[in-house]
Amino acid sequence: MIKNWRNVVAIILAIVLGSLLIYFGTDGFHAFTEESARTYQLHQEKPLFPRVMLEDNKERVYPFSEFEDKYVLITFFYTACTDVCPVLEMNFAEVYDQIPEKYIGEDIVFLSISFDTKHDKPAVLENYRKSFGSDGETWRMARIPNQTELDNLLKKFGVIVIPEGNGHFQHNSAFYLVNRKGYLEKVMDYEKVDEAAQTVVSVLEKEAGE
Amino acid sequence: MKQTKLGILLYVILIIPPITTYMESIMLVHMLIQFPLLILAGWLIGEWVLERWPYHFLKWDANGIAGIILVIFITTYWMFPRAMDESLTIWHIELFKFISLPLVGILLRNSWRKLTIIGRSFVFLNYLSMFGLMGWFYIDSPVQICNNYLEIEQQMLGWGFVVITGIMIVYVLQKCFISGTKSNVNQI
Repeated sequence: MIKNWRNVVAIILAIVLGSLLIYFGTDGFHAFTEESARTYQLHQEKPLFPRVMLEDNKERVYPFSEFEDKYVLITFFYTACTDVCPVLEMNFAEVYDQIPEKYIGEDIVFLSISFDTKHDKPAVLENYRKSFGSDGETWRMARIPNQTELDNLLKKFGVIVIPEGNGHFQHNSAFYLVNRKGYLEKVMDYEKVDEAAQTVVSVLEKEAGE
Repeated sequence: MKQTKLGILLYVILIIPPITTYMESIMLVHMLIQFPLLILAGWLIGEWVLERWPYHFLKWDANGIAGIILVIFITTYWMFPRAMDESLTIWHIELFKFISLPLVGILLRNSWRKLTIIGRSFVFLNYLSMFGLMGWFYIDSPVQICNNYLEIEQQMLGWGFVVITGIMIVYVLQKCFISGTKSNVNQI
């Protein structure tokens, strides 16, 4: 009987320890991949958009604080990309179209940030934006000339960029909504266009209602 | 104690930093070679552990069930893409890997011989289906699951799982239908 008692305790202990491992290993069954863990963590932390100088498609140079008091919806991409980025920017354009016109430029601006600083010069960005119907004003494309600033931003926002060495990069993609004070408010799935547009609109409407 | 020495040697080789870094730079090697080797090292060292504390194992895990439950939980955890990713970026997860996987080996050595044939079959078939699922998952995934590895590596890993699953199926079939025939039925 005594032998049995110890075994039962050991089994219960094994189940409890094992469950705890799985529970904490996945943030309470929320995140099974590092990418989902990243999104979950970003929503908890809401990091501040760090200070960076942007150089946009019209060769204008300004700090990110240029957009102070506006929401900024952001994507990270590079123009030489042939797989994910065109889809990402196409979807970005669709979100842009779904936002009521009264908000565009006034309450929210769209910003596509290239992490391929060497290749994506303003002229390249200017060309690229045209193919996606961006107006270059309320939806700008920009690069961050200072590599240290760029790396810092990518790190803060959990953007992973792995150079492949042949001018291409492996990277994760999402829509990032930064609020009027410069804090990251939401990270949204770039493949769920309608959902992302709805989220953005509801944030804007909620604010207008207050 | 020959096995124990071998196990310690294997473990020491696995924790040499350049070897660790190299193995972890390739997804397939990380999951399908480093992980199993760590478990193997634990299994070998288990020879000494079981001899040193035989009564503890007898008292607390007489039927091997508690041990195998822990084994299943820990290995399941290490099959999450996230765990593999984080072992590269967070040092305490890496440390946990080098402790938990050898522990799996030790527990497995103790539990496996105590489990009944039905228990063993259950565990074996459980892993067979799990590996098959992992293969499908990694090959078919349209997105990059691990932030530290490229998609192509992910697919390679998937095919690695498929190969292992295939070998396991062949093993089951021969166990059931070939070694179970009349002439050597006594050996089962």
